[in-house]
Amino acid sequence: MGLDRRAFIKFVVGGAAGTLFTPIPWKLADDASIWSQNWSWIPRLKYGALTADATYSKLCPAGCAVKVKKVAGIAYGVEGNSANELSKGGVCPLCATGSQMLRSPSRVAGPMKKDGDKFKPISWDEAEALLAEKLKGLKGQDGKVAAISGDLSGTANEVLSGFLAGLGSKSYFYMPADQTAMAKTWNGVMGGSGQIGYDLEEADLILCIGADIMDAFGPVVRNQKAFAAKRPMEGDKALTLVYAGPVRNRTAAVADKWVAVRPDGAAAFAMGLVNLLAKSGKSASLGGFSEFADLAAKFGPEAVEKLAGVNAEALKDVAKALFTAKNPVVVVGTEPGQGAGVALNAAGVALNAMLGSLTVLPEFPKAVASAPDRAGLLAKDLVGWLNAVDAGKAPAPEVLFVYEANPAYALPQAANMAKALRKAGTLVAFSTFMDETAALADLVLPAPHPFERLDDAQNPYGLGKATYALATAVVAPEKDCKGTPDFILGLSGKLGVDLGFGAFEDVLKAKVSAIGADWDALAGGAAYVSDKKGSAQASLDAGALSKALAGIKGEGLVLVAQAHLNIGTGKLATPPHNLPTIRDTELYGKDVFVQMCSATAKSLGVSEGSKVKLAAGGADISARVSLYEGVMPGVVAAPLGLGRTAWDPYTKGKGDNVSKILAVSAEPGTGFSVWAGSAVSVAKM
Amino acid sequence: MSGHATKEFKVRWGMVIDVDKCTGCGACMVACQVENNIAPATPEMDAWAGVTHDASNKLRTLTWMLVYEINNKKAFPEYEAAYMPRPCMQCASPACVPVCPVVATDKNEEGGIVSQVYPRCIGCRYCMAACPYHARYFNWFDPTWPTGMDKGLSPSTSVRPRGVVEKCNFCHTRFQQAKDKARQDGGDPNNLPDGAYVTACAEVCPTGAIVFGDLNNPEHKVHALAHSKYAFRLLEKLGLGPQVYYYSKREWVHRLGDNYLPNEKKA
Repeated sequence: MGLDRRAFIKFVVGGAAGTLFTPIPWKLADDASIWSQNWSWIPRLKYGALTADATYSKLCPAGCAVKVKKVAGIAYGVEGNSANELSKGGVCPLCATGSQMLRSPSRVAGPMKKDGDKFKPISWDEAEALLAEKLKGLKGQDGKVAAISGDLSGTANEVLSGFLAGLGSKSYFYMPADQTAMAKTWNGVMGGSGQIGYDLEEADLILCIGADIMDAFGPVVRNQKAFAAKRPMEGDKALTLVYAGPVRNRTAAVADKWVAVRPDGAAAFAMGLVNLLAKSGKSASLGGFSEFADLAAKFGPEAVEKLAGVNAEALKDVAKALFTAKNPVVVVGTEPGQGAGVALNAAGVALNAMLGSLTVLPEFPKAVASAPDRAGLLAKDLVGWLNAVDAGKAPAPEVLFVYEANPAYALPQAANMAKALRKAGTLVAFSTFMDETAALADLVLPAPHPFERLDDAQNPYGLGKATYALATAVVAPEKDCKGTPDFILGLSGKLGVDLGFGAFEDVLKAKVSAIGADWDALAGGAAYVSDKKGSAQASLDAGALSKALAGIKGEGLVLVAQAHLNIGTGKLATPPHNLPTIRDTELYGKDVFVQMCSATAKSLGVSEGSKVKLAAGGADISARVSLYEGVMPGVVAAPLGLGRTAWDPYTKGKGDNVSKILAVSAEPGTGFSVWAGSAVSVAKM
Repeated sequence: MSGHATKEFKVRWGMVIDVDKCTGCGACMVACQVENNIAPATPEMDAWAGVTHDASNKLRTLTWMLVYEINNKKAFPEYEAAYMPRPCMQCASPACVPVCPVVATDKNEEGGIVSQVYPRCIGCRYCMAACPYHARYFNWFDPTWPTGMDKGLSPSTSVRPRGVVEKCNFCHTRFQQAKDKARQDGGDPNNLPDGAYVTACAEVCPTGAIVFGDLNNPEHKVHALAHSKYAFRLLEKLGLGPQVYYYSKREWVHRLGDNYLPNEKKA
């Protein structure tokens, strides 16, 4: 009996069909799909006790009150801390990745000293001895030692500025921000005390002039929470939000009304409102107000239209809304959160005073008695000083400390600023991450990540009530880092500078005690909130302001640098997890995009995707054009936070640094360095 | 119409996203990645192909939650923009489920969440082609974190190897945890109170634009919000019945949500 072709086919097909009625092929397929995915190089999860510890994250400028989630003691995530008044359970896009940044590839592993073009590791003791030796001979000589701080709210500044004062130096500067410009205005030019605040929780109308409260101004998460609380999805809204600025940004996207205002005309717009409100009978109990009102009379609707690009009817509508609101608050600032002059801030103060909304927060008592007053330091002009150092008009310091700041990248005219920093004899960077300034430094002394350290925040700018929050170390340090204030306290001991404390924890305990707050409650994550108000006594200097306002031109193409929290800040480059949040119209591959409306593009002869060169202040950047009708004509918008030259492969070399082309000028009448709304030229490449 | 049966469940987890309140900050996207162990796209990972695919080239990134920027298509000064976070829509009659040849995805009694069984997925990507919301993602690369960053993985979500399709599952492990807690506390795991189970994106959202809960439960906030006249669903015309609702008082946002042509009359 032979096997013919027909029988063979029947056998094979029958056999194949038969196996389908057994579980064998299905089990094999299932196993194959499981085992083909079960590779040894796929990370395994860690299991253990789940905990969440409250602290205050200082990764973002305003800070978020968070709970750090841990598994078997290892941090893996954050959640908002709803028990803290500052951010009420919300988290910003930077602090949302706080746990991941504990192990960022950019973290500095330990203290390092520059050795040629490279760094070599040194011990903390060596670093302390080296600095003590250098500083010993500089004691008592003003200007020889200087410091730049990028932490505008921490008590660590009292330790650092007190240390400098003990060495005989007054050269302590804060990185520029809307807060420093307001301090120059309120505490400097106007002679006020305390800190200007904005009670958004109580407002029924918020007018933002330039201030991007949802992305770049002040305590962003608290601003968002205050907005959301009065805008329930069900029921009537109890808050109207008006945004006056050159770009339909994130604040404008949720505002009831967007009034397009040229960035160089923001002060004129504010003065136009002062004028209309004064004509309607509003007044303020600020010294020199009548002369100021006379000055404002020059900013009639027609003048404002010419200078700010706002038509008369729109200006009158805003004035009417302010006049009729029960509790309006005017927030003044800038899109990038820096670079405004005294004129805009003074007009903002006057507007709030006229509307009965001027809020002044008292400063909390100092813990370090020898430290200079915070308000006075905030009012100092860092950019003006560095420009003078760069030009050889001011002596370069022998030792320059940089704490929690990245001036080589984040200051306007960044290239010049980096040049000035390099003139320092010894540049010391206290930085958690290897940023552009650390890369330039002679000594890099790593500060702990915010989740690894004891820190605090007093009156973050923009709040309506005096507020204090404490950060505690909720995880063990993963690198060989040391708290900067503790290092400074050790150094001061060696140099015979008595700050009254041996450890930073004692400084903070003294601070908390002086405030009258409860340490345990603060360490548990609650914020201390005071109802005390500061004095609203101050004077408007119409003489100086008239000169400042006379400088407004309202002509030519102006640049609006936009700060987007998700992209990063001056001192924190985009975290790896945040890169997908950057839009293709902001960054694609290695090209940064600048936005302009079609009318502006037409006038420049460019179109979507055109490669352009933007130049200002002797520097230039290259970019591509993105057409965006949310930018008013005559304005070019560009995102800050890109174009890193240090950091890690996730951020390095992506786009260009817009700070390079923020052109600085001295505000007429006050001499304060300003760059908001600076002119720019755009040429097709 | 979707052409297949709609499954109804007693519990139907869903979201209402207030487009008028979303600022597009991106916190939800970041929280989602952290919660679900989504690795950041490493620049060198595609070096074998001579191409750099990192997160600023989004062709191959994983973003289970993606925030779209939409606008009213008008020129300055009438221009308006809005932000629209888009998780998986967890459709009542999902287009992705019937096309899966290995039943790796299904819609079941777990609150109507469309599941995705990664070990079973063979990476054919039919589901990606079927999903009109582009809510499914193929992971082209093995998940690699920057050195040391993998130490801090969330213990809740398994790490997926390359070659499978991923998507938002409303942080399903949080649902399991909430049910466990209810059992421990003597509650009813099938009738969780409002807020007992929330997704990472809803939890982190600073403006409270994302509200999460049981759409079928009148005691949950989303129930009333989803029935509001201002609520709508994306591409409602397709009949997939998403469990994600959007909320806006702006007419142009509604029209864009259902992809109406400029002059097309809204149904």
